[in-house]
Amino acid sequence: MKIFIKTFAIAASLLLVGNPASAEKLKLPLGMGGVPDIGAISCEVFNNMMVVGPLGTKRSLLTWGEGYFYAKTGKTIDEILEAAQAADQSWDFDRLTAHLVNFCAADPDAQTSAAVVDLGEHLLQQ
Amino acid sequence: MTAVTTTDNTGKSKLWKPPIVGVVTFVLMFFVIGLGHTFMVLVEHTLGRENTYMASFFIGAGAIVLLWQGIKSRNENLQTWIGFLAALLVWMTWIEFFFMFYGRSNWGMLPRMDGADGLQVSGTYPEYMILGATVGLLLMQLCFYTFDKDTRCNMFLWFQRRLGLQKGLGISTKTSRDRNYAIITFMETIYVTWFCYVWNLLCFDPRLVGNGDLFFAVNMATVFVSFVWSGYCFARLIKFKRISTALRYAIPVGNIFWVSFEVSTKWKLFTDIWVDPWSYKLELSIVLGALMLLVFLLVIAPKKPSELGKTRTG
Repeated sequence: MKIFIKTFAIAASLLLVGNPASAEKLKLPLGMGGVPDIGAISCEVFNNMMVVGPLGTKRSLLTWGEGYFYAKTGKTIDEILEAAQAADQSWDFDRLTAHLVNFCAADPDAQTSAAVVDLGEHLLQQ
Repeated sequence: MTAVTTTDNTGKSKLWKPPIVGVVTFVLMFFVIGLGHTFMVLVEHTLGRENTYMASFFIGAGAIVLLWQGIKSRNENLQTWIGFLAALLVWMTWIEFFFMFYGRSNWGMLPRMDGADGLQVSGTYPEYMILGATVGLLLMQLCFYTFDKDTRCNMFLWFQRRLGLQKGLGISTKTSRDRNYAIITFMETIYVTWFCYVWNLLCFDPRLVGNGDLFFAVNMATVFVSFVWSGYCFARLIKFKRISTALRYAIPVGNIFWVSFEVSTKWKLFTDIWVDPWSYKLELSIVLGALMLLVFLLVIAPKKPSELGKTRTG
């Protein structure tokens, strides 16, 4: 009986700890600007943020993209841009962020992560 | 030295008597604050953001040149109007548009988000986040007026009486003739606008008041204080006979009342038509027409000789 109770208690505690439904969503400290995960919002929200904070918003998504590219290729953004330059592609901050902004302006229903993926397809094709 | 005197013709007017003078100046002030918001939105959209930042410098500089014309004038009424107009232009350009440049374009601040899911852009834009941070600067500046023995501002006089400062400060050595109402109105408009903005922004700051019960309580208290304070001042304003004095007194009355209006708009009790001129063309055109009519009526209204500088020696 004791073994049964112990087993039940361990199983129950594992279920409680591992239950993703009980996890709280990430929140920024109150008063801070921006969203907790700019890669996980719709382009519509991104477009609205662009109206009020254009520079910060596009820079934030580019930073998210740089992490994504590093995770995917193991290369930093400078290494990726260097490779792109070798393939006769010229990218700078304005062109990189313009790609993200234009993607979201054209498709407000898409996710911002799709804009980053699309940029990656252009950047990493060489 | 000659002294020019004219007949006081204010008594002949059946219209420009209390409470009309006070009521008209209060309504005028309310319309000016609202349409000031509209003006900024229109300038930004007409010139484009980058051109607006550039133009701001020159508009503000032009306002200072205008202010100098007011300072040179001996006409108190003209001084008051010019001081007020110059302050509005300087506030909108050198303060708000410059903060907008720093927040949105130079420093790359992200907008504060609102709503249950945190995905709606809040009305506290980057420039207002910066403005909220000027609270210490504002308080430091207000020390000047608190310890100024020559101040005539009722609020600071009240502080001086309550804090027992008057004995230590000594007796004021300035008479009304020593005062230049252009620069006084200019500074008054700037400080009142600044004070009311910071008051509003601190009450909306989620870091300070959260977004639950404390937020609600603080903003309820703000509406209460704003109503009572502006109501008390309005009761005094409607007793005013001199247009120039009423105009200067209406600046804080209108702005303090506007604080409650801002909170009410935040609670969605009113539609903020002022910042959406394209959707409310007719309404805002009517308000603009009414404002222009009020300004015209106040300009042509009979004035006391002292308001026109005609009793001053020179």
